[in-house]
Amino acid sequence: MPPTPQPKDDAEHQALLDSMDTYYTKKPFKRPEWKARRNKNIKQMVSEAQRREASVLATQNNSGASTPLPTDGATTPQPSMAQAAQNLSTLVLERNLAKGAGGGSSGPGSTNLTFALGPAVTYTNIESAPSLQTKKHYCDITGLPSRYTDPKTKLRYHNSEIFGVIRTFPQGTPDQYLAARGANVVLKAFPHMAQESAPA
Amino acid sequence: MTITSTHRILEERSRPSPAFIESLQHPAIHPAPEWPFQGHKPAQPSGWKDSAATPTESAIVIDCGSSTLKAGWSFDKKPRFLIPPLLAKYKDRKYNKYCAFVGYDTYADATTRGQIRNAFESFTSVPVNWDVMEGVLDYTFLKLGVDSEGSIARPILMTEPVANLGYTRRMMNEMLFEGYGAPSVTYGLDSLFSYRYNRGTSGLVISSGHAATHVIPVLSGKPQLHSCARLNWGGAQAQEYLQKLLKLKYPNFPSKLYMEHMESLLKRFAYVSKDYQAEIANYLDWNGLEAGNDIVVQYPFTEQVIVEKSAEEIARQEERKKESGRRLQEQAAKMRLDKLIKKEQDLEYYESVLQQLRDAPTKKEQKRILDDEEFKDETALERQIRDLKQKITKARNKDLGNQADEETLEEQLNKFPLLEVPDDQLDEDGIKEKRHQRLMRSGVEARIRAKLEKERERARLAEEKRLDEEHRLTDRASWVAGRRAQRQGLLVKIKEQARAKADSSNRKGLASQQRMKTLANLASDGPKRKRRGGGDYDDDFGANDDDWGVYRTVAKEEGSDDEEPEPDPVAELLNIEKDLLQYDDNFTQNDTLEAQNDWKKSLMHAFIRGSLIPDDDSQRDFHQLHLNVERIRVPEVILQPSIAGVDQAGLVEIMEGIVMNRFHDPLQQKNLLRDIFFTGGNTLFKNFGERLKSEVVATLPSGYEINVRAASDPILDAWRGAASWWTGTPSSERATASVSRNEYLERGSEYIKEHDLGNAISPAYG
Repeated sequence: MPPTPQPKDDAEHQALLDSMDTYYTKKPFKRPEWKARRNKNIKQMVSEAQRREASVLATQNNSGASTPLPTDGATTPQPSMAQAAQNLSTLVLERNLAKGAGGGSSGPGSTNLTFALGPAVTYTNIESAPSLQTKKHYCDITGLPSRYTDPKTKLRYHNSEIFGVIRTFPQGTPDQYLAARGANVVLKAFPHMAQESAPA
Repeated sequence: MTITSTHRILEERSRPSPAFIESLQHPAIHPAPEWPFQGHKPAQPSGWKDSAATPTESAIVIDCGSSTLKAGWSFDKKPRFLIPPLLAKYKDRKYNKYCAFVGYDTYADATTRGQIRNAFESFTSVPVNWDVMEGVLDYTFLKLGVDSEGSIARPILMTEPVANLGYTRRMMNEMLFEGYGAPSVTYGLDSLFSYRYNRGTSGLVISSGHAATHVIPVLSGKPQLHSCARLNWGGAQAQEYLQKLLKLKYPNFPSKLYMEHMESLLKRFAYVSKDYQAEIANYLDWNGLEAGNDIVVQYPFTEQVIVEKSAEEIARQEERKKESGRRLQEQAAKMRLDKLIKKEQDLEYYESVLQQLRDAPTKKEQKRILDDEEFKDETALERQIRDLKQKITKARNKDLGNQADEETLEEQLNKFPLLEVPDDQLDEDGIKEKRHQRLMRSGVEARIRAKLEKERERARLAEEKRLDEEHRLTDRASWVAGRRAQRQGLLVKIKEQARAKADSSNRKGLASQQRMKTLANLASDGPKRKRRGGGDYDDDFGANDDDWGVYRTVAKEEGSDDEEPEPDPVAELLNIEKDLLQYDDNFTQNDTLEAQNDWKKSLMHAFIRGSLIPDDDSQRDFHQLHLNVERIRVPEVILQPSIAGVDQAGLVEIMEGIVMNRFHDPLQQKNLLRDIFFTGGNTLFKNFGERLKSEVVATLPSGYEINVRAASDPILDAWRGAASWWTGTPSSERATASVSRNEYLERGSEYIKEHDLGNAISPAYG
């Protein structure tokens, strides 16, 4: 059972590789002078977008450009929205959105109008909020339903047998299990604190 | 495994049926996943030629997914190429040239696999590695046969992530317009294209792809993007989670578990449980395992060959062994004989010396002879001769095989004649000899005492046994009760020992801390006192014999002192269980500690090794993965993200939140729920729709008509929808959605147009 259907012959394999290699293939449709710009990861992009977003909002709030809102007695969502976007607190945002939608007259037209001026849809704020439902607990080892938590390792376990297994784990293993559930404790060193605590 | 419970360690689980045990002899074994290498795929230039007739009407349609990029022409029925957005670019040292492989080609061999880079940020649907993306697009256009100078010369229709980031869009626009000279570019959302292709107008679109799950409400053909939501869970996260689980389940697994292999395992074996809570609870039970819950995946292995020896060979080996044994025996015998001869010669010599000594005329002569032989006096010489004689007879007897009857201890007692003689009748040597004999005699007496002691102990034990027997015969019930109580006591003892052992290895445990305290006390010089005032301070440690016991309490090793070792409770337990098995009808083989701790019957065994497979330690089993709970545990995460530690609401909770909280018009709510539509590769799990429906019905208030349907092809429909949109829309209308080259040059690289199948413009990005 070889993992890949590999050609037996080296030369044959090299020929296959050569047939697939695109490095030296002519690409007439491409402009040779063009070069891709710097890569940015999502974190960088999001923080840049947020800075821009905040400045746009600030301008809107100060200039009065955002005043004409159809207010029929409902509170305007704008200020708290700006806060929410800046705090990156999606939960707050969602609640406010719900309030705004509830207060405004219903119908697609009006909701669109309400949000056309805010930071409508951004990569960060469409992320759904944490669950408000009670979480069901499952055994960290076997995945079976669990009613118990080991006070020492904080692992959840299904029955006494699994508990026995937990207690035989070498150091570090419980942490790996916790990490799979996102419940592990991550210690971070803060450089400025390290400096402070260093002897003078 | 340590023993942690004195009660039943296992619940009694239903036993496998005989048919199942039979089937275990030939378990269904699935082959290990393979790399998704697909061989060389030639380019298809026919599409380019076909498009040449109507260059502005024929677009290159690219569904830019983070798992696979699908590319083809707008007039095609399905995408021509599926390309994972991967690039392996490196310098081949052997041939001294650069290589670039794209898509499935990157899986060609170990070298190319090692150089794979993904265009997308891992676990997101956002492209971030633009050089990789460039390589992938190069490859795409090459395969599509694009053949024009300085520009691809055809419009591009491409999908982008929901709520795409400004920088990403700018980079893509720059690349398409400036790098490839595209005449126009249109962006849309894959899920909306898929929905359109499946003739949806109003409904809730759920798109669960490789890196994320989106819920987008659509009303009258218009996406309500302000109410959309993203759950950070998709196929990639599921693969990683499965990988984590398997690594924890098999910490010493000999093969590496690659993400691509996890993908294959999930596709083949995972499914969404119709009722998770009920199904998972009994997943590892025998009837569950019998129903095929356990999937065996066999990774390649080499069986350790044990060479069978023929009977002849074994016999020869045996012979050789015997032969060498005999030779050794002969050598030993010869050596013994040599020694014996030497001793006899010695004896002869010393006897002659003794004779000379006796014949010597003068004391001086006698002294000279003794000095020469380094003897103190005549008795010493005589003793030497006597010893030699004894040794010779002993050796002779041994050689001849007849055991010399050892003197009994009582006989030895009579061998100290001097003790009877009063001191005043002895000379100085005699007194010395008498003292020596007294010493010897007391030793012999001690041995006699010990022997008696032993005999008495033996008698006591025999008596005890007899009484026990009698007890059993007269009153069996109370005898059994007694044994059971003993057994219980031993179990507690075993447990305590295990705990003490665990405690001693735990530095923070009470026992360890006590020990450290004691050590610290011992090390310090007693209570501190001012040296100046008082004289010598003596803590009088050791004045009391019990003081020394402190060293016993700090000793870590068991039995390091000369105390009598405690009897092993486990061995004792075995004896008692043997008795109980014999005489107690209510105590069966299943009740023994051994049976209860039987690894093969344990839950962990069912989890890790599936069902009872006879040969547990073979290489074959060592190279096996057993997928059981994971099969439903991993797909369940989308509904309960907390399982995998994702701090977000589950899919159904998100849907409920959107429908009930973001829309307040009952008509809109009704319209959304009437058509719940799901698409994307992560929805391909069996029972996905069924479970989704039952969950939605259970969560939402009654009175809504709820329909759940899947895309006709959850993976390719987005591309098909995009292509059909292009061909089915007049160019004037398309222009309101597309950005032309002129518009790009005029408005900048982040400019897009809002349309019913694409992203909304947000002020911050516009």
